Formats: sequence, C-alpha cells, structure tokens
Amino acid sequence: MDLAHLAPNPSEPSSDDTMIAPIAWTPEQQIARMLELCEAQMESALSESDVAVDELIKSFTGLIEAGQALGSLGDDSSDLARQLDALRKQTAAAVVAFQFYDKLTQRLGHVRYSLSALAMFVCDRAKSSERDQWRRLFSTLRRLYRTDEERQLFKLMVDGATAEQAREHIQQSTLTLRSAPTGEIELF
Amino acid sequence: MSGSASHRSRVILAVDDSASMRQMVRFTLESAGYKVVQATDGVEALDYARQSAVDLVLTDVNMPRMDGITLVRELRGLNSYKFTPMLVLTTESGQDTKQRGKQAGATGWIVKPFSPEQLLSTIARVL
Repeated sequence: MDLAHLAPNPSEPSSDDTMIAPIAWTPEQQIARMLELCEAQMESALSESDVAVDELIKSFTGLIEAGQALGSLGDDSSDLARQLDALRKQTAAAVVAFQFYDKLTQRLGHVRYSLSALAMFVCDRAKSSERDQWRRLFSTLRRLYRTDEERQLFKLMVDGATAEQAREHIQQSTLTLRSAPTGEIELF
Repeated sequence: MSGSASHRSRVILAVDDSASMRQMVRFTLESAGYKVVQATDGVEALDYARQSAVDLVLTDVNMPRMDGITLVRELRGLNSYKFTPMLVLTTESGQDTKQRGKQAGATGWIVKPFSPEQLLSTIARVL
C-alpha cells in the first residue's frame, strides 16, 4: 500500500541523537524497535481520538435529546413532523456510523498486537530463521482476527496477494459496506 | 425513535467494554422506552445480575476479565436467568464462536454495527 504520505518530512532537521545507542546492536533489535515505535504511535493516536469521539458522542446525544424534546412539545404541524422524521432517520444512520469507530479501535488493537508479536519474534534469531516458526506466528495472528474483513484480508495477503490486489479488495469491500453497512442477525 | 409506555418497566443489561458502544446502545434502547443498566465486562455484569433482576441481557463477546460467552453460560446457571433472553452483540462473525455462544445459551447473535431499528425489532421479538 502507498504509505508515502506517512513518510517523515525531509525538511525537518535530523540528528544523530535520534539514532539508537549501539549497545548490543543487531539488525533484529532495530527492526523490533521500529515495530514497537509503530505500535506506540498507533496507541497514542487512538488515545487521542478516544477523547474526541467521546466528546462527539456527547454532543450528538445532546442534539438528539433536544430534537426529541421538540417533538414532545405537542405541535402537530406537518412540517415539524416531517423535520422530526428526517431527524430520526439521520440519527439512525449516525448510530450505525459511530459503531465503525469501535470497529476501528478493535482492528488497530489487533494490528498493534501483531507488531508487538513480530518485534519479539524477530529478536529470537533461532526462531525467526525457521520456516515452521513463521507458520506458527501466522497461525497465532490469524486467530486474533474477529471480523470478516480482517480474515479476508489476512487470507489474501498470506496467499501472496500484491499490494495492488489488496487495494482492489479493500475498495470492493468498502463498496459493499456502503450498500449494506449493518451486520447480520440470527436468532437461535 | 420514540418511547413506548409498554417498554418502561423492562430493564436491559447492556455489557460492553467500549464506552462509545455502550452509549450507542443506551441511546437506542432508552429512546424506545427501555430502562438500561450498563456493565463494562462480564464480571461487573454478573455481579449486577446476581443482585438485581433484568429482563434481557445484551452483551459483547471480547471483554477483559470475563468474555460475553462465559457471562451467558454463568447466567444460565442461575435459576433466575434460565429463561431470560440473552443477545450477543459483537463484531465476531465466525461460525465457531457463534456456535460456542449458542451452546452457552445465547438467544441470538447480532453482528456489529447494528441498525437501531433492527436491534429494537429483535429485542421486541425475544422479550
């Protein structure tokens, strides 16, 4: 996937201070540190957005309660009824949309776990040089995934899909999601 | 969504470790006239259910301390919850997990994200 927009700004000064101290330097340790950094950045970004989304939900709930209060005033004009009906539909759509934040948090949690697991794995040279150990790692990570989207993407990548094929799959999934955003219901 | 007088005495225990999900569930159910009590995981939910009666349990699966499937199994072991409807609301869509939920005693399985209208009609069916 194209991550060029995430690359560090070249105009920012670089300093040797940012280099990792050369104590017991190994390429594996540097990979592990980089993975841990990615994991920490993701956690930091998620914590920040948690605060913002909480505030957004409070504002949303307040707006809807104000709308409901308007509806209970007893004004039976058809115009007001129409507006309230539109508000109800918008509210239902917003409730569905808000839930994708929860899904995002969960999926990024799985990515963070994967990065941490990989960081530990690459530091163990004996393990990381064995094909069977890699297979075990993939098997562990596969069990982590809960949603259809995660499982499909995992399978696609493990089966050797290119970044372009993955991007096409994601675009297709997004289109499907737009037409049917809610999940299935089954009564036992 | 408007409140319904017939729902006012019904209490729903909503269990989820995500604050935003709890808010969406609470908002949806209260708008329809249900009384909602919330718990952040299975342990908290079980403690509450042992002390107070609820008419329906709506629980997530993956939570710290006690997951939703264990919660359903534990509740089914209590005399007062043998016949209480218990719906699982989760991002988990795999057949294996669904089957485990069914075996634990869940009444139904709802995959997130839920539509308020569908959630309310499902609850009305099982209550």
